Amino acid sequence: MNSIITVISNIIAIYRRELQSYFASPMAYGIATIFWLLAGFLLVILVFGPQGLLTQSAFADQAGVQSAPLDLPYEFTQFYLGLLGSLSMFILPALSMGLYTDERKQGTLELLATSPITNWAVALGKLLGVVTFFITMVLPLLVLESFIVGASDPPFDLRLLFLGHAGLILLAAGVLSLGMFISSLTESSVLAAILTFALVLVLFVVEGVASGLPGPVGDAIGHLSLLKHYNDFTQGVFDISGLILFLSYAVLGIFLTAQSIEAFRFQRN
Amino acid sequence: MIEVEQLSKAYGATVAIDDVSFKVEPGEILGFLGPNGAGKTTTMRILAGYLPATSGTARIADHEVHSDSMAVRQNIGYLPEAPPLYPDMTVEAFLYFVARIKGLPIGDRAARVASAMERCNLSEKKRVLIRKLSKGFRQRVGIAQAIVHDPPVIILDEPTVGLDPKQIIDVRNLIKSLAGEHTIILSTHILPEVSMTCDRITIINQGRIVATDTPENLTARLAGQLGYAIEVAGDLDRIQAVLNPLSQVDSIKYLPSEGLADNHHRFQVMAATETDPGSAIANAIIKADLGLYELSRNRVSLEDVFINLTTEEPSVVPTDPHATDLQDTEAPSTEASAPEAESPDTQPTAHPPTDTSPTDTSPTDTSADSDE
Repeated sequence: MNSIITVISNIIAIYRRELQSYFASPMAYGIATIFWLLAGFLLVILVFGPQGLLTQSAFADQAGVQSAPLDLPYEFTQFYLGLLGSLSMFILPALSMGLYTDERKQGTLELLATSPITNWAVALGKLLGVVTFFITMVLPLLVLESFIVGASDPPFDLRLLFLGHAGLILLAAGVLSLGMFISSLTESSVLAAILTFALVLVLFVVEGVASGLPGPVGDAIGHLSLLKHYNDFTQGVFDISGLILFLSYAVLGIFLTAQSIEAFRFQRN
Repeated sequence: MIEVEQLSKAYGATVAIDDVSFKVEPGEILGFLGPNGAGKTTTMRILAGYLPATSGTARIADHEVHSDSMAVRQNIGYLPEAPPLYPDMTVEAFLYFVARIKGLPIGDRAARVASAMERCNLSEKKRVLIRKLSKGFRQRVGIAQAIVHDPPVIILDEPTVGLDPKQIIDVRNLIKSLAGEHTIILSTHILPEVSMTCDRITIINQGRIVATDTPENLTARLAGQLGYAIEVAGDLDRIQAVLNPLSQVDSIKYLPSEGLADNHHRFQVMAATETDPGSAIANAIIKADLGLYELSRNRVSLEDVFINLTTEEPSVVPTDPHATDLQDTEAPSTEASAPEAESPDTQPTAHPPTDTSPTDTSPTDTSADSDE
């Protein structure tokens, strides 16, 4: 019991330090600013742009198409969150790249490795910290979305919207965790970001590759796809397998990180 | 409190430390002295549980540092070679963070952090970002993080690096004040540091321990000897014929004579203090009608002990193969008599006097930095 409290208190200590370092880092604000600008821009284009939802809807009205009325709230949620997911693919590697590379550069890995705290507790605390920072990046977007939601007729299905955002956070947790592992392998932040981006890219498009493969192998690989499961969420389909997949990526990332730090201690020379 | 037995660490083919054994008693300050690349950092890292040893054991507070790492970690404060600091935190926030991950109970944290800052003279900087601190202050924050949780054992790897002379004195006093309740092992390549702060000194060179003793005893070992530097003009054979028969002299070393006038030669003569050979040497040289240009007595300091134990400069090995030890005695040069006496199972690092190959002086020098 006592040891559980110690572990939790360790995780919280790492979590708070990690979060604090993001809020103290100009780099993190820079990344957040880019994210907000692009997300806002995409939202405007999606709704008001020449190919935007409003234009499409107006065209449909003019053409007198009655058979398939556009469900605008649904279309909006799906497209907008889809775009946010793609945008995150570029942003998340930049958030995770410094998780361990900075510890090495500052020599603080040596402090952590000689303190009574386990590797996985460090990794979990760090992951929670960076996911929390990502959540704070997503929160301001809700303000933007609330304008759309408020002005919409028919009204939005808030459950759909909630599920979509939950999917985005889960997606981020998985990607950040894998990014953390890659960050633990190298001393170079840039290399960590590039490798993470490459890995995320593969996991996004793996479905396309898998569909070319026959039989159960293709099926199995297809299930690893981030995009497929994320799209389930944005379409309002709560699929337990998607939840499990994202959480598995997160757990796998933590596990591999802890292992790589342990191995690093054994092999360094 | 700290027991190290036959500890070895190899990085691939490079041996960083070899068969290192020593003990630190509770409340004692042990100085770990050696030139850069001698294996100090490697030893410290093994003790802190950061590196596994290739063979041998190290125990801290009766816990094996590797197999029982978590128990050891609870008992140590460790200042690595580069102070582990988060530049974006304030001094106070950082020390709180360390107090948390070291498992200090919530109720004790404020008092311990304040006390650590006070001891390291950091109180007026507590709200300053570590990024903005000078090197000296960073080093002090590094020391503060090693003592904030009041560990029984404190491992300090070069604690005074980067400090100005006044700060060095402060840190030495701090370390001294920690003795008694804490067991401390500190490494350094600065000699006065150990002689002033430490109860005992372990000298390590090229991965091997060459001596362990109190500063006083180490000095006393060589204090029984004194040396003369001589510069004489004349044929080497004649000089040899004059100097060799002197009974008071223990050993004569030929020193490189580059830069001297033609036919001038330099020697280092060692003798026991009680049989001071100064006048005998002078008389002999003058009688033989050789030119005496210099005869100076050098006193032995701890510095000399250190240099003698850890260096194998070509200067003590004749560059001219014909001019080896003039006296073919086994009388050990200044090099290694002391450590042999202390630790018979440890090989002297110095070469035997017969070894004349200057190229053989330090084959592992290039690899010795591998633990850095």
